[in-house]
Amino acid sequence: MSPDRPPLHSLILKKKRGTLLGLDPQRGIRVFFATNASVTIIVLAMIMIFLLREGAGFLGTYKHELEIYRRAGLEFCDIVDRPLADQQELSSKLRRAVTSSLDPLIQSARARRDAAFLLKREVEEQAKIPREALEAALEKEPVPSVGELEALRRQLAAATGKVVGSMQVSGLFTTEEARRLRAEFARLSPEVSEMPPMLMELSAAFTARDKEAKSRFGPLVEASDSLEEAPESLREVLGELKEEVLATKEEATTHFTLEEGRQKLLKAAEAAADPEEKQALLEEAKASETPEPDYVGSMAPVLERRDELIEKVVSYAAAIDSAALHLPKEGGTLEATKLLAEVREALPPHAKALRDSVDALRQWQQDKPVSIFTVVGAFFFGTNWLTNSSWQDFFGFVPLLAGSLVIALIAIVIATPLSVAAAIYTNQFASEREKELIKPVIEFIQAIPSVVLGFIGITLVGDLIKEVSGFSWLSWLPGFPIQERLNMFNAGCLLALMAVPTMFSLAEDALNNVPQAYIDASDALGATKLQTVFRVIVPAALSGIAAAILLGLGRVIGETMVVLLVAGNRIAIPDFSSGPGVIFQPAHTLTGIIAQELGEVSRGSAHWQALFMVGIVLFVISLGVNACARAVVRRFELPKA
Amino acid sequence: MSDLTANPFAGDQSAVRRRETAVRWLLRGSTLLIVAVTISIVAHIFIKGAPITFRSEFPFVNVKFLTELPGTLHVIVDKQGRAFETDVNGADVIKKQLGDNFREEKTISYSGGGILGPIVGTALLVIVSVAVALFLGVASAVYLSEYASKGRRVELIRLAILNLAGVPSVVFGLFGLGAFVLTAPVLTDAPHERTLLAIPLGFTTLSFQGWDTCVLSGGFTLAFVILPVIITASEQCLQAVPQGFRETSMALGATRWQTIWRAVLPFATPGILTSSILGIARAAGETAPIMFTAALAFKDKLPWQKDVTPLPADAGWFANWEQAVERFLGIFTESVQALPYHIYTLAARIPHNEYSERAQYGSVFVFLLLVAGLAAASIWLRRRLRGKYKW
Repeated sequence: MSPDRPPLHSLILKKKRGTLLGLDPQRGIRVFFATNASVTIIVLAMIMIFLLREGAGFLGTYKHELEIYRRAGLEFCDIVDRPLADQQELSSKLRRAVTSSLDPLIQSARARRDAAFLLKREVEEQAKIPREALEAALEKEPVPSVGELEALRRQLAAATGKVVGSMQVSGLFTTEEARRLRAEFARLSPEVSEMPPMLMELSAAFTARDKEAKSRFGPLVEASDSLEEAPESLREVLGELKEEVLATKEEATTHFTLEEGRQKLLKAAEAAADPEEKQALLEEAKASETPEPDYVGSMAPVLERRDELIEKVVSYAAAIDSAALHLPKEGGTLEATKLLAEVREALPPHAKALRDSVDALRQWQQDKPVSIFTVVGAFFFGTNWLTNSSWQDFFGFVPLLAGSLVIALIAIVIATPLSVAAAIYTNQFASEREKELIKPVIEFIQAIPSVVLGFIGITLVGDLIKEVSGFSWLSWLPGFPIQERLNMFNAGCLLALMAVPTMFSLAEDALNNVPQAYIDASDALGATKLQTVFRVIVPAALSGIAAAILLGLGRVIGETMVVLLVAGNRIAIPDFSSGPGVIFQPAHTLTGIIAQELGEVSRGSAHWQALFMVGIVLFVISLGVNACARAVVRRFELPKA
Repeated sequence: MSDLTANPFAGDQSAVRRRETAVRWLLRGSTLLIVAVTISIVAHIFIKGAPITFRSEFPFVNVKFLTELPGTLHVIVDKQGRAFETDVNGADVIKKQLGDNFREEKTISYSGGGILGPIVGTALLVIVSVAVALFLGVASAVYLSEYASKGRRVELIRLAILNLAGVPSVVFGLFGLGAFVLTAPVLTDAPHERTLLAIPLGFTTLSFQGWDTCVLSGGFTLAFVILPVIITASEQCLQAVPQGFRETSMALGATRWQTIWRAVLPFATPGILTSSILGIARAAGETAPIMFTAALAFKDKLPWQKDVTPLPADAGWFANWEQAVERFLGIFTESVQALPYHIYTLAARIPHNEYSERAQYGSVFVFLLLVAGLAAASIWLRRRLRGKYKW
């Protein structure tokens, strides 16, 4: 600024800029806004910090628990117990095969018996009110007068007669039988304790029929019974051992709980100013001192019986092998034959698993240290999430992850084509009036609270799925008819609806961003509208559409209430062996388990920390999905037109 | 005429045209499927829920349902098979009246009374969360739109906003539990033993022991859930104010702050408020963040109904004033019932029967009506504003 010109500053701005405590207020305001803007970063960091603070102790706590699990010998028992658990499934399959074989033979007799009993119950239910009145009168002290009782009896007889008159007797019975049933039911009264003779006859007929059928499938019934009985002596020994090791474990748990309290007391004593109080605290701490349980000593009697256990295991395995040999090939029905084939195939591996456990039993060492990698593996690759168990809690993450992923996959498979098609249609084909309808409705989906959708899943969608799957002409579909109303498919459908708005609006943005020049060029080449859309616009917007799908996936994995209410909450890895029908099984999820269990655990326990670990994993997944979406957009971004 | 314009060399186009029509209908079909599913869900809730909330005669709404606290429903059946629905106190009276005629009594938890408690709780949570989120969100948006230049810092903030928007709501719940319920600072004379850090201030102690489950904890947690929505919406509104307004203001010698306060914010405010209605709808609808931070399954009092020792008659105005303030603040340090959590309780925790179904559909209907009203208001206002503010 040259000195000959008047200073511009004093001409235009009369007032000098004021300062506040030596700070320029403009700067202060700027700093204020900048700080506020940084809140998002701080919150993100705090989420991580607080999750870690509550969850980081998990590995240590879980390691400690697994150490007790090994020292006390629970692990030793589980070596046999785990493979033995398969036996129940096999046995139940065999039982089903037996039932399925016997069924055609005894069905009609059973149906007749059951129908008759059902009718009887119905009659009793409908004439409930006078019946109860009579019952009450009979029990009354002093006994009411004969006249009163007679009146009540007449009332009951009238009511029963009315019900019997309008009773629908099913076609299983001949007219003659129906008449007899009616007559016998009309005489029903609380004063007669024995069953109507007709019912007795039907029961007897069923029993005779059942006996005959069983003798016809003798070998099968025998095989089923023998498989059920085979592990009994093994179970007995194992049960005794389990009781012993459980006592050791409980002793250890008590010891460590007391120890923790003692440490707290000692700390309080250190902090206490008053010497008297300090003395009292120290004494209290001393009183609660317990010796560490003698793991080796208490395990010794168990290990002494190791050979006995091994012997039982070997004899059980031999029994299984012989059962596999003697299992009949043919069942009474196709289903039974199929089940039998399954069982026959599963028996040798089952026997082998048990034989393998013998080696594991011999090599098992009580004092082998639990490494931190084992703990990490037990969490991330553990296939068992078992809590509040009287035996041992396991925090294995795989069943939850599997449930979350399958549900997310179903949702994405349903939502992607629908929302991309809707985006293309709205963006390229829809008239203005259609857009007026489509856009607000899809935006409105976003505003529907997830708990409301979950409720819809329980009531409306659950009933719908159950009903549709019951149609006989749809029975060729895998998994039909569906057993559970609440399953992964149901949750997936609702989550698809939740993901639609996100995916729709992002995909539409991507389509909007395709430069007009591309479209003009395509038109100029004589392409039809459809060709322009599918060969020019959609490929150009593909990166945006892919990002939309990824962000939809992020939303679906993180959704809580719908899966909590609708997914069925069964903690087990979905049984993929049943093919595509797997989607109709119930499952539990990462988000659902937190919401369901966190309210009921005490702070700082292994369970609490495990739930926070799951939270950390979810947080990391959401960050990862976001990063992927950004990377996709960057990688395939169009050159600026 | 048509003979002249038709291209004699063009091949048979009818197959192409048929295919185009087919694909177009396929696309339209999937779009309409989404619309139809949404509408049918809403219609289902309306059909089932409206009869519970509305009445055919004056005053046309079910006053009892909207003004009573939830309670246990007692159904008493007499020997003629008639059923009386009543609450705990009514049950005894009716049983006495029936005398010998009494047959059985069914109790259905949470299904009696009304839903005033949950409505009030949700309103309180929304007020706290929107106040916090609007303050932080608008300030962040002002920084991003008015102050920040391109740089690493802004990149980082934008990245953080994106990521925050993707964090699962149940993780926010965990965060709220760890941060607000168990760690946030309070002023207290006797620090709790779980306190993280206790700073003596002379007259009292600042103790990092958390706020416990209360409206404040839940409200703050929800605030961070909706923060990304509010920031993004506010920034868009600020960006929509023409650059010329700022330049004119600066040219007249206004400072940056004066420009923002006088020339930018007044024009952006309607838009910001409109978009934040969507944030309100989201805050009202979230369940997972409040499960461990604020919500209770059952509570028989409203937040302001608390036993307070009456002051002596000669207490000064200061004591009265102090108690009034304390009572007011006490509203926010209570745990409350909330509508979404109430629906969760009704849907998942109690067995289904005709009586619980009525409470379920009634609550869902009222809840959806509230949320839909908010969303519709936001969409409608945005339409109007778009027409009004055109530069």
